[in-house]
Amino acid sequence: MEIADRRIPYLLVTPLTAFLLALLAVPLAIDLVYSVSRVTFETLRAPRLIGLGNFVAVIQDAGFWQALWFSLKFAVAASVAQLVLGLFLAVFLAPLLKKVPWLMALLMLPMMLAPALVGLMYRLVLHEFVGVVPYYLYLYTGDSPAFLDAANAFRTLVTIEVLQWTPFALLILYSAYAGISDDVREAAAIDGAGALKILRHIDLPLMLPTIVITFFFRFIDSFRVFDNVYVLTGSGAGGSTTTISIFIYEAFFRRNDIGFAVAASLIFLALSFLVLIGLLRLGRRHA
Amino acid sequence: MRQNPLMMFLRIVVFAIAVFVLNFPLIATLLTSFKSDAEISANPALWIDQPTLANYAGILAIRDRFDIFHYLGNSVFAAGVGAVLATLLAFPAAYAIVRHEVGERWLLPMVTNLRAIPLIIFSIPIYLVYQQLHLLDTKIGLALILCLVNLPLVLALIVNGIRSLPIEVEEAARVDGANTFAILTRIVLPMALPAIASSLILAFIYSWNEFLFGLILTTQNAVPMTVGASFFFSASGGGVQWGIASAVMIISTLPPLLISLVAYRYIGRSLAAGAVKG
Repeated sequence: MEIADRRIPYLLVTPLTAFLLALLAVPLAIDLVYSVSRVTFETLRAPRLIGLGNFVAVIQDAGFWQALWFSLKFAVAASVAQLVLGLFLAVFLAPLLKKVPWLMALLMLPMMLAPALVGLMYRLVLHEFVGVVPYYLYLYTGDSPAFLDAANAFRTLVTIEVLQWTPFALLILYSAYAGISDDVREAAAIDGAGALKILRHIDLPLMLPTIVITFFFRFIDSFRVFDNVYVLTGSGAGGSTTTISIFIYEAFFRRNDIGFAVAASLIFLALSFLVLIGLLRLGRRHA
Repeated sequence: MRQNPLMMFLRIVVFAIAVFVLNFPLIATLLTSFKSDAEISANPALWIDQPTLANYAGILAIRDRFDIFHYLGNSVFAAGVGAVLATLLAFPAAYAIVRHEVGERWLLPMVTNLRAIPLIIFSIPIYLVYQQLHLLDTKIGLALILCLVNLPLVLALIVNGIRSLPIEVEEAARVDGANTFAILTRIVLPMALPAIASSLILAFIYSWNEFLFGLILTTQNAVPMTVGASFFFSASGGGVQWGIASAVMIISTLPPLLISLVAYRYIGRSLAAGAVKG
């Protein structure tokens, strides 16, 4: 009985572990082999080892670095904006949300929608003839920019990402803000501290770990962005909006260059790990 | 603290603006879906002259080339199976992690860190494996991937849920001679039900919203709603029928929308907890 019991916990984690092995370890092994091989759809079962050639090709590919740079810029701009907006809304609306909690449901809605569908909605909203945004811009300013051309696409895409995911930052930051006891704030108020001073010296320091985590989540999601950019511009806008995820997708499906695509994805994975470790370090220092 | 009525008014104004701006694409698409084709080109503004349900009826008329029920059915199946499977795998593992510290050092961090890994990296080898196993363009193949995608959140939520349960009840049952299986199904499961419910809800919503794997792994038989909706745009080329397109987009977003409006309290709390502790 005792001995059997000690084995049971291992039995309980077995299904999950087996599932992960099948769906993660096997693909990763395939990635590793194919990344050092020359392989096409016709030679899947007989890849020819060619050493590190694929990695060299990726590193020498200007498109790869361009896509990486785009994703990085996109992720930094979008996550910083989401954090600032979310923080402002969380703190400013806190008294209202405390009084009428269900109002949060309306603020949360955007993050419950599929990014791909939201992207498609913006194709309608920004359309130069039937779109509501160009319509009002023409009406009041007499002019409307081409939101998705090479010059404006970056700003448009960042704005769309920010509008959809600020609710996430708002939700998490609000729950951290609401978790701070009013006693602390009242004590500071009695000592003569104003609202801004309380925010700066009490609320923000207490919320700092949550702020770092929120930034972390938003950054990694924006860094690997695919859905909304793909349905809005694809690699269009003169290729200027190719994110790193879209670059790998296209290398695989359009160019049929499996070894190259896999090598690019492994470099992306390594870079993601570096970013992850960097952000975790940052988080630990502030937590 | 005392509330200044002017400040409260200002907060209500900011709230209204935020709701309007954040939900703007949804509001505009919803309004467009009730306009006739003629009105859409004549009146792109935010009001409707003559509301009509013609676009929703129009979806049914084009079922021979765009079968929305097919896509909806695929999404319900894949998202449902993906969410249930993730929960079934995570629940016993979460119990072992919390109460027996098995896998706490490797399994839990491995799964939660999966959240940070770009999905595209797995898409290529999984595509190739699926091709060999004849799982491409199957609902079950898509469901397996959706399960994988949702495991980090589901495991974090259920681990948090079980951690917050009092261990005394389980100890008392063990003294009474209950074995681990009985404890798991008769005691832990009922008590962890709120955590399990919210993980099912969130996993279903996220699975419904997934796009990348649907795009890569399905072509016809198992195409989910998000990808199907994008087909509608690419298939109609330059002349998108905006009225029907809007109605398609509204119907596609309806399930997650309604679920989150009903269960916002659960969802909000779980997401906040999952993010902070996960």
